[in-house]
Amino acid sequence: MIKRSRSSGWLSPFLAIVLAALLVAVFSACGSSSNSSSSTTNASDAGGVTASSPTLTVLMGTAPDSLDPALGASTQSYEATWLAYTGLVTYTHASGAAGAELIPGLATALPTISADGKTYTFVLRKGLLYSNGQAVKASDFAYAIERAIKLGWGNKQFLTGYIVGAEAFDEGKAHSISGIKANDATGGITVKLTAPFGPFLNVLAFPAAGLVPASTPMKPLPNDPPAGVGPYMITHVVPNQSFDMAGNPHWAAEAIAGIPGGHSNIKVNIVSNNQSAAEQVLNNSADVFDWNDTVPGTLLGQVHAQASSRYAQEPTVSTEFFFLNTQAKPFSSQLAREAVNYALDRRALSRLDGGQLTPACYLLPIGMPGHPNGPCPYGDPSAAPNTTKAKELITQSGMAGTSVDVWSEPHPPHKEYADYYASVLNAIGLKATVKIVAAAQYPATIGNIKNVNPQTGWIAFSQDFPNPVDFYQLLDAESISPTENHNLSQVNDPHIQSELASLSPVPASKLNSVVPRWQALDEYTAQKAYIAVLGYDNVPKFTSERVDFGALVFHPVYGNDWSTLQLK
Amino acid sequence: MTPPPPGMKSPPAAIKPPPAGGSPWRLAWRRLARSRATLAFGGLFLAVVMLCLLAPVYAREIAHTGPNDNHITETVKVGGKTLEVVSPTGVPIGPTWHSRFFLGADANGRDVAVRLLYGGRNSLEVGALATLITMLLAVLIGVLAGYFRGVTDGVLSRLLDVIWAFPPILLGVALGVALAVGGLDLGVVKLHSGSLLLPALIVGVVFVPYVARPLRGQVLSLRRREFIDAARVQGHGHMRILASELLPNLTSTIVVFIPLMLANAILLEAGLSYLGAGVQDPNPSWGTMLAEGIRLTPGAIHLVLVPGLMLVAAVLGVNVFGDGMRDALDARA
Repeated sequence: MIKRSRSSGWLSPFLAIVLAALLVAVFSACGSSSNSSSSTTNASDAGGVTASSPTLTVLMGTAPDSLDPALGASTQSYEATWLAYTGLVTYTHASGAAGAELIPGLATALPTISADGKTYTFVLRKGLLYSNGQAVKASDFAYAIERAIKLGWGNKQFLTGYIVGAEAFDEGKAHSISGIKANDATGGITVKLTAPFGPFLNVLAFPAAGLVPASTPMKPLPNDPPAGVGPYMITHVVPNQSFDMAGNPHWAAEAIAGIPGGHSNIKVNIVSNNQSAAEQVLNNSADVFDWNDTVPGTLLGQVHAQASSRYAQEPTVSTEFFFLNTQAKPFSSQLAREAVNYALDRRALSRLDGGQLTPACYLLPIGMPGHPNGPCPYGDPSAAPNTTKAKELITQSGMAGTSVDVWSEPHPPHKEYADYYASVLNAIGLKATVKIVAAAQYPATIGNIKNVNPQTGWIAFSQDFPNPVDFYQLLDAESISPTENHNLSQVNDPHIQSELASLSPVPASKLNSVVPRWQALDEYTAQKAYIAVLGYDNVPKFTSERVDFGALVFHPVYGNDWSTLQLK
Repeated sequence: MTPPPPGMKSPPAAIKPPPAGGSPWRLAWRRLARSRATLAFGGLFLAVVMLCLLAPVYAREIAHTGPNDNHITETVKVGGKTLEVVSPTGVPIGPTWHSRFFLGADANGRDVAVRLLYGGRNSLEVGALATLITMLLAVLIGVLAGYFRGVTDGVLSRLLDVIWAFPPILLGVALGVALAVGGLDLGVVKLHSGSLLLPALIVGVVFVPYVARPLRGQVLSLRRREFIDAARVQGHGHMRILASELLPNLTSTIVVFIPLMLANAILLEAGLSYLGAGVQDPNPSWGTMLAEGIRLTPGAIHLVLVPGLMLVAAVLGVNVFGDGMRDALDARA
């Protein structure tokens, strides 16, 4: 998923003041109830969150793009929706590599997969209820998939590209998806694919594939999310301000193995100023800092001094990079692209990110199968850059003096990245200017080849699922589209295409057997300099004093696992 | 009459006939010379302007760096100690009081003093251009509307009403954001999104009604005076009456408006740049510097204090000077 970050901080001082005032008022008014609720944790341990469970405040720098599971595709959205919309399969609620393991969700077991890898057969658990009390039916699965496609979920290409009849449904040529058969009586669900796709089970673990009642309107419901099955339900949505995660009253009876029932009610507040957000958590007026945000360097010393037991940096499976448009000057020239890779000082970029960026050169990050171990082709990313060589390459490429627009969004440190990058491009002989677009409009703007066709800019991508295919959609020629383009470098490389065709069908269970091929492909990509990787993100896990820091799981796909959030 | 925007004083209502003993300008100059506060603040503004004009000299000869040069991983020697310009956790160095990083560095390791001066150039340039645009358009509209009245007045006044209907900052942000990415392309006129002319144009247009309205009112009053009737009786055409009779009588009002509009334009430019709708990155302006600094406060408070104080000095200087000029030109004051 392309990581979205907070919106422009121009209102932040005002919001901070208003929020601070509100928090003071709320805490002073509710002080007694919060104290009393702290003593009720034992009750919630029984399985499931109740109204009397304590309420913890989680801060988010950017509002989720949507809280309707059929639409939400940002990290902030998934963080909430995966606890309210369980699919047929889901992930283990664990940190590190264990968290990437798929387990049965609403299905009784992991599916049986046909020998040709094209037919998946599930059986739905019996007696399941939605959060609104409706009974769960097997046919609801087909409706959930249809709804995600019809409403335009950001990753719907994983559905339309592989499920038989899904594309025809998307184009309005069919009323239902012919490749999905469900039997409400037996609970049997069969999904047929057009071609084997290794990470298909991971696709079904997305909250967008989580079951919703077939009576759910076929329209976006971001402010009144539909009923789902999961330990939580999303309530009281105030757009761009807050929402609540309350316990699902029917969850305790369902008790699906491997999915915790939760301990606390969650109040999510959107705080667009990360300084203010960090101070709130440091001062214990909020409970969880947004892991998508950066604790400002100016506060880090104080955090280490006062809150070292409740602050840690967690590695994420994500890559930050500058895309280099291979279809437009100057980066249509490989020499110019190589020059950028030589000239970037990743140590500087890491400092702009408060030291949270691990300098690197490969698209596949550490923790993703296929991450290469070899040396970087254009110099050690942790060492000083080779600006002289970069200048020579720009001269050789004949691109000296070419104008370049560097795109980014205003959220720190992404604007600072752009300023630094522009200065580097100017230093090696190009003529760079910076274009900053509001965070909310940024992905759509840089994904618009038709009207914008950006030459280069910042982007971050974190894993949707633990399979390198996910990252390689960024360089897959089939991802190029006039609008909502995912292949920002517009790479159309026959070698990459043939390798993707061969590697994509490999199922997750056999992924280890093709790791060397993924490594070779990623080394090839780095050699061609299709992108200029900045590094891999480490993110803050930062809580208030009253939170059991050790118990909070940092999930490799969805970040802070709120179902493990509890008081000490 | 609609009240002037905040921070702007009312212009002189009417021009008094010169008293015996000197021309109105000479008398005004005498009054101005007697007001030490006015001269002091005028001097303060002039000093700020001079400092900003010397930015390239400072950058080249003293700081040895440009306004957009990043020095993130570099070190600087201060008092025998080697200090990192930006720490590994991203905290920039504070004021060294030496030639390099005299006022410290920002998050990108850029010299704050150099950016302050270059930013001042940009802010003042935008302010001056915006004031020029405001005054040209406002005088044109105000004079035409007030002199011709009727349909001309109706059309022009409604145009002013449309602009006036929006709060300046909101209108500025709306225009700034809309033009920030693609620039302005009117066929004949093309402005790149990074051009300083864009924020100048936006700020200039936003303030037109605040000057045009009072001028129109004054023209409405003047056109009924005997000397205009006399000119008409002598057979003078409209253009001649406007140029030789009306405009000279508006001069003192226009002169008074200039510093007041300049102060407002500098402030609005800073506001727009702070919000990302004015001067575009990586070009510095006092507004963009404030925006960049605010996220590092209180740890790196110099990033906010330095451009903030400079902005206060410039605006205060020109505002007090403008007030003094108004008093000097208004015989009743």
